[in-house]
Amino acid sequence: MKRILPVLVLTLAACGSQPSAQQAQAATLTWAIETQPITLNPQQWAQNKVRLLVFNQFDALLSRGRDGAFEPWLAKSWKVSDDGLTYTFELRDDVTFHDGTKFDAAAVKANLEQFLVPGYNAAVAAIQLAAFDKAEVVSPTTVKVTLKKPDGLFLDFLASPYSGQVSPKSLKSAKNLKFGGLDLVGTGPFILDRYVQGQEIHYHRNPAYKWAPPSAGHQGPAYLSELTYRFLPEAAVRVGALTSGQVQVIEGVPATEVNLIKKDHAFQTALNSGTSFSYYFNTSHAPFDDQRVRQAFREAVNVDAVLASVYQGTATRAWSVVGKASPFYDPSLEHTFGGDTAKANALLDEAGWTRRDSAGFRVKDGKRLTVRSVSSAPFVRDRRDILAQAIQAQVKQTAGIDFQVKIVDQGTAQQALDENQYEIFENSRGDSDVGAALNLILPSKGAINRTRFSDPRVDKWLAQASATADQALRKEIYTRVQRAVVTEKAIVFPIYVPADQLAAQKSVHGLGFDPGSGTPRNAYDVQAGT
Amino acid sequence: MTARILVPTAFLTLLALAVAVPGLLTGVDPLSADPLGALTPPGGAHWFGSDHLGRDVLSRVVYGARHSLSIGVTATAVAVTSGILLGLAAGLSPKWLDEALARSFDVLSTLPELLLALLVIAITGPGTVNVIFAIAIAQIPNYARVIRAQTFVVRHAGYVEQAVTFGRSRAVITAQHVLPNVLGPIPVLATIGLGQAVIGASGLSFLGMGPQPPAAEWGAMLAEARNYLRVAWWEALFPGAAITLTVICLTVIGRRLQHRFEGRTP
Repeated sequence: MKRILPVLVLTLAACGSQPSAQQAQAATLTWAIETQPITLNPQQWAQNKVRLLVFNQFDALLSRGRDGAFEPWLAKSWKVSDDGLTYTFELRDDVTFHDGTKFDAAAVKANLEQFLVPGYNAAVAAIQLAAFDKAEVVSPTTVKVTLKKPDGLFLDFLASPYSGQVSPKSLKSAKNLKFGGLDLVGTGPFILDRYVQGQEIHYHRNPAYKWAPPSAGHQGPAYLSELTYRFLPEAAVRVGALTSGQVQVIEGVPATEVNLIKKDHAFQTALNSGTSFSYYFNTSHAPFDDQRVRQAFREAVNVDAVLASVYQGTATRAWSVVGKASPFYDPSLEHTFGGDTAKANALLDEAGWTRRDSAGFRVKDGKRLTVRSVSSAPFVRDRRDILAQAIQAQVKQTAGIDFQVKIVDQGTAQQALDENQYEIFENSRGDSDVGAALNLILPSKGAINRTRFSDPRVDKWLAQASATADQALRKEIYTRVQRAVVTEKAIVFPIYVPADQLAAQKSVHGLGFDPGSGTPRNAYDVQAGT
Repeated sequence: MTARILVPTAFLTLLALAVAVPGLLTGVDPLSADPLGALTPPGGAHWFGSDHLGRDVLSRVVYGARHSLSIGVTATAVAVTSGILLGLAAGLSPKWLDEALARSFDVLSTLPELLLALLVIAITGPGTVNVIFAIAIAQIPNYARVIRAQTFVVRHAGYVEQAVTFGRSRAVITAQHVLPNVLGPIPVLATIGLGQAVIGASGLSFLGMGPQPPAAEWGAMLAEARNYLRVAWWEALFPGAAITLTVICLTVIGRRLQHRFEGRTP
């Protein structure tokens, strides 16, 4: 343990002065995180829980300020043409990648075009970049992007992890491009120097860093010289590691431990942006091809009671597919469904599931009312496995529904989804603009349309909302979309609004949440005590 | 009988009762959840408290006996049967086959039982039946080696040689004379092996390899309870105590049988 200099930092901090980067030369920090990345390549990013790692190593073209508005980052300024088709970016000219190559207009072009390589990231190419036509290098510091049609979500894309700028040299030379790693480098405040699967990821400070976004707490190199993230998937182990002083920061604080943590540690929490954690009903086959059964499942669950037991009252109930933190959230959906057991049973009787078998489950035509959910272990967070068990018990007791829950490896989960061997798909998305998430989940051809639901009106609305930058109009359209999928068609069962929690030793300063996504910020502003 | 035997016997009888008619010991459904009554400490309503989903811990421990013990008993039965057959085969086979079998028992014995069981699970995937076979395969060498050694002794016993001179067939000799006389140490070994099998089953279930949630199984219950240790000690204590007591009782009785078998009564 390098203790001497951090003591100095603490002393200075106690005197009320902000320590400068020089004074914090040897500050180190260990941070325990719940989720192991399935990729370190920002262009392949898929886990909201891993967002905090991406922006250690990479910087995006744009950032979001504390009020959610777009701010410059690697792009100093940008202009959008009146027809919304041409974006011209002026880039910083003092930025270098970790491998020494210079960041310029050609790099931006190479990064955007990388998405179009077949088989690289088909989902992003087909959805977020559907409108992308071409990028042109005007000068080393000017890049012009042309769209095929207006896209109100394009700037949000450029502020997302997908826009983390990767050195074009390393895009060509990386040994395992899709996974990323030490040889896939960015321009971020920290340089990745060790990744041990199942154990930890280690960074050291980028001493040349002087291009932090304006919303950051300081400018210049990061305060920490060394930064380690330990992968501790067990909530109790993370808490124990914090209270015993083995780590200084943890994320993902279990509800049962919050009060205990608050006594001696700093604790903060924020709602994530994006979609709520929801169960999506597969409408392509029985039993959820029948809307009454979908509604019955929602009525069979007393969500408030389930959340109270699993999250001890710390969870925020969701009422719409859109999360409460989003400006497009429709509050009129609140208290419109759920918890009416009598209604659930009446709906199921009406739908023909009248008989019961010896185990007490409903039966129709000799088939048990069984619904299956298959989830991929790398995406299970917030005790969603326990939540599923609570719902499983509820629907069995109140309505005789046999809900089977399986948590498997990603390959097996993907196979079940591809082969249509599931009835419930559980998901939340942390996109900073919820429109990006809805475009993936709801349209007939959406990349993760697991409801297999198709409604031309919804498709049209989503396209309209994406094409405009008029926020009031988008809100109106998304309200229509939410009412259609939540109330009218009941294809989704919103359960809770995902949140992130951070707990830290009181000597640690500068932790916080990303204003765009509501997830923990990177470690750029963090200062460690002892 | 002394208390040292009486107490374990009484506990195991209680367990047998829990396996056979769990409804006699508790009237509560082990899967019935009451979310608003989650994490209630032990008391009048829930003698052993309630778990994180508001399920009755007593009822889950009682019904859990069926899972945990049936895996242990079945695995031991499979291991004993296969061990006897393989050991007998080795003991009566030509030298080359005996060598091959005996060396493979040795190789299997070099691996710790739990590790071997995990290897099997890694190939077959999780599930109750797979856990049974994983534990059985890991235990087979214990029985096979003893039976093989016994077979060597019995094969040259006077009554076997006599039977050979009478011209009885090989099958008849094996079934009538060899088999019954090699089985002596088996009950003792099996009783102690059962304890190990119960630990193995709980261990694999703890790792999520056994019966899947929401099934009440002691190891799986411990796994679920580990995140609530600070706030609800009872959720982990009772299934943990059930595993510990079961294994201690089985071992005490097994040792006692062993002493008696060896002609030493303490």
